[in-house]
Amino acid sequence: MKKLVSAPALFLGAGAFLIIGVVLAFWYSPIDASSMGFSQKIFYYHAPIAETALVAFGISFVAAIAYLRTQNLKWDRLSVVCVRLGLLFSILVMATGMIWGKAAWDSWWDWEPRLTTFLLVCFLYAAYFVLRSVVDEEQRRATYAAVFAIIAFIDVPITFFATRFLPAGMHPAVITSGGTGMPGSMFLSFFLSMIGMTLLLVALIRRDLQIETLKDRVSDLKTALGG
Amino acid sequence: MSGWAQFMAILRKDLIRELRTRDMIVSMILFVLLAMVIFHYAFSVKGNADLTYFTGGMLWVTFIFAMLLGLNRSFAQEKDEHCLDGLLLCPVDRVTIFFAKTAGNLVFLLIIQVVAVPVFALFFVQRSFVSDLLPFLLVLLLADIGICALGTLLATISMNTRSRDLLLPILFLPLIVPVLIAATGATTLVFAEGVGFGTVVARLLFLLGFDAVFLVAAWGTYDFAIGE
Repeated sequence: MKKLVSAPALFLGAGAFLIIGVVLAFWYSPIDASSMGFSQKIFYYHAPIAETALVAFGISFVAAIAYLRTQNLKWDRLSVVCVRLGLLFSILVMATGMIWGKAAWDSWWDWEPRLTTFLLVCFLYAAYFVLRSVVDEEQRRATYAAVFAIIAFIDVPITFFATRFLPAGMHPAVITSGGTGMPGSMFLSFFLSMIGMTLLLVALIRRDLQIETLKDRVSDLKTALGG
Repeated sequence: MSGWAQFMAILRKDLIRELRTRDMIVSMILFVLLAMVIFHYAFSVKGNADLTYFTGGMLWVTFIFAMLLGLNRSFAQEKDEHCLDGLLLCPVDRVTIFFAKTAGNLVFLLIIQVVAVPVFALFFVQRSFVSDLLPFLLVLLLADIGICALGTLLATISMNTRSRDLLLPILFLPLIVPVLIAATGATTLVFAEGVGFGTVVARLLFLLGFDAVFLVAAWGTYDFAIGE
């Protein structure tokens, strides 16, 4: 397959966007007017990471369906690479979210719907890898993993809905800020960071896919050599 | 045989097998009653504390774990006795197997609840909720369907793996959290505040939606989960 953009170019592009994004976030975007104040700066990384994690899981969902339809292992490779990166990004979402929570509300953990959803997402997709590790046969492992990836991705919005609108017990959701109306000067930094993060995801997916393909070839060669 | 007859045949087989041995039901009921004692001591930090507000949560945690016990048993037997291989050799639609197994598990869960709910209510709930029985029964039924559908699908996958019963809770628990949130909230409302349909209706609709989504998802993927 002819490569449109080389992998180093993607990484460089991602880095450039992310650096410009963070520079603008600190020197161009205004300090948030709400109670969050300066701590809101982390938003320019936190939100793009979250978005990228969901994109990665979305790709794994589509790849899982494609695998079940075609039984072609290349889709399984794409799915597992995306879940792995999605999980990594989700853990980063939790980390940045907790730092933000500490700075803004002075508590490391709050059962805030979005953060709680990401916590459950981490458990879900960690289970995906446990599942993969206990099935030996390749086709069967790919099939089970695909079924679970589909179910898990369907569960994510449902979990968010449940944590957001059906709070446990009688207490209403404490934090309801939607953050929809963003002034343009904030949006630019956010937008550039988001492009940078998405490019980073694409670059990482490509690199990981190449590694997976190489791994498969190595094991094929080993079998061919009788090892 | 029509799909309905096949469904009934598999369901009847599961029920008869359980009625003959009774090992699953008995251990599930004992587990539920033991859990009640454990919860009592876990939550009684002050003498004679009113646990009404905790009962919904206690009940659903107990049901979920009892169901995990049951799901593991139901598929371990199928697998060990090679009953499943026989089923798969029959000209039966895989989805029919799924719905029959789900229905069987639903029956077992309902039996557990018939025992557990009155006992829990007697021991923990300090107000009468008879006037709210209908919404409560609906919550039970809708949450049970979601638990059994998802549980059956995941148990089918996990029994074909190396670690079997170890894997099921890890796959099942994070997925079932939304049901737990809705069912616990609704049950607590019924037990503690007695509010009728008005306030539980959102949770009922949510559970209905959950059931629909995962029944469809399982219907679409069960062919792959059960294997060749």
